[in-house]
Amino acid sequence: MGLRLYQEPQLENPILVAGWPGIGNIGIIAVDTLRGILEAEEFGEIEPWDFFYPNRVLIRKGVLEYLEFPSSKFYFKSMGGKDIIFFIGEEQPTEGGRVYAEGRKAYRMANLVLDVVEKFKCSRIYTSGAAVALTHHTTKPRVWAVPNNESLVPEIRGYANTVLMSDIEGRGGHGNITGLNGLLLGVAKKRGCEAICLMGEIPVYLQGLPLSYPKASKSVLEVLNHSLKIEVNLDKLDELDQKVERRIEEFYQQIPLEIKGQLDRLKQVTDAQQAEPGPITEEEEKRIMEDVEKFFKKRGGGG
Amino acid sequence: MSQEYPIKIYKEPDLRRPSLVLGWSEDMSNLGRKATGYLNRKLNGQEFAEIEPEDFFPLGGVAIEGNLAQFPESKFYACRENELVVFQSGSPGAEWHKFLNAVFDVAEHHCQVKELYTIGAMVSLSAHTAPRRLLAVVNSAEIKDVLSQYELARDLDYQTPPGERPTLNSFLLWIAKGRNILGVSLWVPIPFYLATVEDVQAQKKVLSFLNDRLDLKIDFSDLDHEIREQNERLARARSHFPQIDDYINRLESNLVLSEEENGELIKKVEEYLREGD
Repeated sequence: MGLRLYQEPQLENPILVAGWPGIGNIGIIAVDTLRGILEAEEFGEIEPWDFFYPNRVLIRKGVLEYLEFPSSKFYFKSMGGKDIIFFIGEEQPTEGGRVYAEGRKAYRMANLVLDVVEKFKCSRIYTSGAAVALTHHTTKPRVWAVPNNESLVPEIRGYANTVLMSDIEGRGGHGNITGLNGLLLGVAKKRGCEAICLMGEIPVYLQGLPLSYPKASKSVLEVLNHSLKIEVNLDKLDELDQKVERRIEEFYQQIPLEIKGQLDRLKQVTDAQQAEPGPITEEEEKRIMEDVEKFFKKRGGGG
Repeated sequence: MSQEYPIKIYKEPDLRRPSLVLGWSEDMSNLGRKATGYLNRKLNGQEFAEIEPEDFFPLGGVAIEGNLAQFPESKFYACRENELVVFQSGSPGAEWHKFLNAVFDVAEHHCQVKELYTIGAMVSLSAHTAPRRLLAVVNSAEIKDVLSQYELARDLDYQTPPGERPTLNSFLLWIAKGRNILGVSLWVPIPFYLATVEDVQAQKKVLSFLNDRLDLKIDFSDLDHEIREQNERLARARSHFPQIDDYINRLESNLVLSEEENGELIKKVEEYLREGD
C-alpha cells in the first residue's frame, strides 16, 4: 500500500520536480510541459485508494468496466549526469472539504514523495505553484521563490525575473505557501533535503476564474531551465497562452470601467526586485483588492 | 485483509452464503433507508455488527432530523431465515476506501456473502402516475446473465460527466469486483417532486425485485395500502390546487416544465404531503 515502483531506473545525480493543480494550474502546466518535452518515462505511482475519491466511472451495457482515481505518478528522464524525476499529481489530497492539501493525508503523501527522493538520492526538489499578485495580465509574470535552506538564497538571487518571497515589499520576510507545494518544502527540510518552490505570478483578479495561466507557467519554466542548465523550447506554452489570453480579454472587458481603471494601473508594476516603493501605494492596493472582491461577489463568487 | 479496528462484532451471525443488501441514509426520497428498514422489519433483522464512525463521519456536532438529534450509524443486521444481511449506513464523508473495505471485511469474513445488492434513487422527470422502472448496473457479465429473467433495464451506458464524481455505489461495486463478490447496483428513477418526501412506489419496485431474486416471500399488502394512500393524497392535491394538476398533466403528456415551475411543483407537493390534507 502506498508507493508502487514499476521499475528502478539507474539515475545519476537526479533532482525531483513536482507539480499539482492549483490556482491557474501554473505549477502542473509547467511541470507537465517539461515532462512532455523531455519525453520522461513513467516508472511509479502513489496508489490512490487511501488518498482520493474516484473521479470517473465507465459503465458499458450495464457492466461497470472501470473506476478511475486521480493519479499521482513518477516519471524519469536520464539527462547524462543531471537526471530528472518528475512527480505529477492530478489532485491534492484534502480532508474536510478543503481545496488544497492539508492534514494527515497530505503529510503522508509528502513523505511518500520524499521516500522516492531518498531512494534515488535526489540532491534537490523543485515544487511549483501560483503567487497571487497585484500585477496585470499584459505584463510578464515574475517568479516568486522560496527555498527551505539559507544556502540557496544567493543562487536564487541570481535567477532572472525572480524575486525571493521574503524580498516582496510589505511582507517582512513572512508568507505562506498553501497545499502540497509548501508542505513538501517543509517535509524536505525535516528530512534534510534542499528544496525550492517557484511560484509564477497570477493577477489577483484572475485567481478565482476557472482558467489556466500558462504565461506564468512559462516564467516558472524559464527559471527552471536556468537552474537545471537545460534548454527546452517553450513555444508550446505560447500557443496555449494565446488561447487563454483571448478569454482573459473577454473577461476583462466585462469589468466595470471604474475598477478597470484601477486595474490598468497595475500595468506599471513590472520591477522584478521592487526594491523601491512601487507605483501603487498601500492604500491604493487595499482599494483595488476591495473593488476586485466586490466585483467578484456581485458576479457570484468569481467562478 | 483490511484493518479490523473500525468494526465491532456483537454476535457472529449464523449464515451460510447469504446475500447482502445495502442502503444509504441520505438517499433521495430516503429510498435506501426505507427499503432496508422495511426488510429488517419484515424479516426480523437482528443487529450483529457496526462500523465505528470516528474515521468516516464529521463528528463536530449532531444533525437534527424530525426534531431529533441524529448520530451517524453504520449497522449490519442478519435475517437468519432468509440468508440475508442488511447494511444500513450514512454515506461516509472521508476514508471511503477504508470504510467500504470494512463493509466487505464483515460481509466476507463474518458472513461469507456471495452477492451484493445496493439500493439507489435517481431523478426522473416523469409524473408519479407513470410506473416506476428499475435499472441495474452490475460488476460482471456473469451476474448480468442471471438478471436476464427479471424485469430490469440492464444495458445502461454511462460515463461520469466532467466536474462530477462517481456514486458511492459504483465505488462499492468496484471493490466487490476486486474481492470476487458479484454485485448489483439497483436504481429507481423517482419523480423529481417526490425526491424530498417518500416515494412508496419506488420502495415497492426495488423490494419486489429483491423479494423475487432472493426468494424472501414477503407479503406487500401493507406497502400496497401505503401506495394507495399516497396516490389518493396526490390526487386530492391535484383537485385542490389546479396549478399542481396542470403541472402534473403536462408531465403526463411528456412535456418539460420550466425550472421555476419545477421548483413550484416540488414546494407545493412537499408542503401538501407534509402538512396533510
